[in-house]
Amino acid sequence: MERAVYLWFLVISTLLAAIGGAMGMRALRHGHRSRSTVLWMGGAFLAQIAFLGIRGEARGACPLIGLGEILVFLAWSLTLIYLLVGPTYRLSLLGVFSAPVVVVFQAIALIPGVLERNPQRVISTDAWRETHAAMSVLGYGALALAAVSSVMFLVLDRQLKEQHLSSGLFRNLPPVRELLVSGRRLLWLGWAMLTVGVAAGFLMPHEDAGAHLVAAVLVWLAYAALVGVAQFRGLTGRRFSLLTVVLFLVSLSVFAFI
Amino acid sequence: MELVCFGLNHRSAPVEVRERFAVPPVRLGEKARELTEAAGIEESVVLSTCNRTEFYLAGNSADEVIAGLRGAIDLGVEDCWYEMRRAEAARHLCRVAGGLDSMVLGETEIFGQVKDAYRRAHAAGATSGVLNRLFQRAFSVGKKIRTETAIQEGATSVAGTAVELAEKIFGKLKGCRVIVIGAGEMSRQTAQALVSRGASTVFVTNRSFERAEELANDMGGRAVRYDDWQATLAGVDVVISSTAAPHAVVKRFHVEAVRRVRKFRPLFFIDIAVPRDIDPEVAQIEEVYLYDIDTLEQLASEARGRRERQIEECGRIIDEELEKLNLPGT
Repeated sequence: MERAVYLWFLVISTLLAAIGGAMGMRALRHGHRSRSTVLWMGGAFLAQIAFLGIRGEARGACPLIGLGEILVFLAWSLTLIYLLVGPTYRLSLLGVFSAPVVVVFQAIALIPGVLERNPQRVISTDAWRETHAAMSVLGYGALALAAVSSVMFLVLDRQLKEQHLSSGLFRNLPPVRELLVSGRRLLWLGWAMLTVGVAAGFLMPHEDAGAHLVAAVLVWLAYAALVGVAQFRGLTGRRFSLLTVVLFLVSLSVFAFI
Repeated sequence: MELVCFGLNHRSAPVEVRERFAVPPVRLGEKARELTEAAGIEESVVLSTCNRTEFYLAGNSADEVIAGLRGAIDLGVEDCWYEMRRAEAARHLCRVAGGLDSMVLGETEIFGQVKDAYRRAHAAGATSGVLNRLFQRAFSVGKKIRTETAIQEGATSVAGTAVELAEKIFGKLKGCRVIVIGAGEMSRQTAQALVSRGASTVFVTNRSFERAEELANDMGGRAVRYDDWQATLAGVDVVISSTAAPHAVVKRFHVEAVRRVRKFRPLFFIDIAVPRDIDPEVAQIEEVYLYDIDTLEQLASEARGRRERQIEECGRIIDEELEKLNLPGT
């Protein structure tokens, strides 16, 4: 019974995000912004909370065990940060670009075998382990959103460079400078949370987490370099955005295999 | 009651005629009240802008209204005036409020001017049942046209297009720094448009330093000696170039030299010179967006085309709204 309920919440959340993204795209094609995307994403967020709540209750711990739960937690943190950041920076279009990422993450989690069907209760919990997992995934949410914002920049940059300025997408994309500023701030936020996550990783019992921690440190160093270079030396918008997207995809695939 | 619109505009009368009949904004209410004192005119609103002077009048008979107007005002050259009655007059007011009758199709300033004219006439006691209802409906039609159609989308001039692009790159232009290379009229207009949208600092450079100083003073900017403009490039966001030089003035190495200092921030070049002032190679630098006069003209022309395609839709909205109003006198 409970099992079916949490799966339903995940399906509902995925559908709501898909509808939000599709509505946003449709509105763009007609040359205006979709005001409802944020509401659909809000609905998807509530369903994610319900899913994670049930899984967390079953585990008696933060639901971050196995690829399926990590992906849903990641989608949740991306949605959370989008809902917090999007309206602040007037990046209403961020939802249209974030929704497909949420849908992909959750659709992978829904593939049979990815999500553990009968979550086992965790016998003993460790506060540092929980902090490590939660802060790292929250950090990844911010980094995912930085990558989404970077994709938006790359699209706009290309349109401006090639002087293709008549599409609805062009008219509704936020300005170049806003995208770059929000991308940089999201990167700082994600990196700061990742720092706490990695630090907590060193404080948790890590007899079987050697490779995982090495990968975490390497990812942290790579982001530190990007944040530092962008802040102190400066990077062109295109390079900054490409690096943000590539680094996110590479680090995500590294953790998928470790 | 019958409604009459009597007027002249930029299409029917040259500026030397229009200026004779222009009424200053502060006198619009008084003028409207004076007209209601003429025989046959019960209600009146006077609209006067740089492109038109129109009298919206209501009375028991249209002929009496016109006769009353002729008695009150010396109309001079008859050919310049147009006259519309009943539904045609109401439709014309809606077209004016919606910017469909403006020199720049879809411009929005006229909406505020119509509102102001009505407010002043109303305050002077020159309006009553017919014109009150008509103008209120014209305002709602104007709003509907703005929100439901694309009549005001896209800039229709080179300067306006450049400003729109600058806003697409920098967002709000507050704090943006601009350099004008070559103190021609076109660059002045473009820089002025950027300043009106918030650009904070304007540097002007020209072969003749006196001319640069003159333009800089006009815009509250700073003149830079022609030999020193390259140093200024490091601190600006927008470059407007319009010199009469027969060769490129800004070359790739000029921009390459300041990239590090600028921390690779976006740089927007507006080249409105023919022959072009900015070497097309400059556009290959990643953070540079370069637009020349042909592209800006083309974008402005596309926007004009898009606006023209909206006219039919606007006409449909006007007819629908006026039908709902069912106003006596139309």
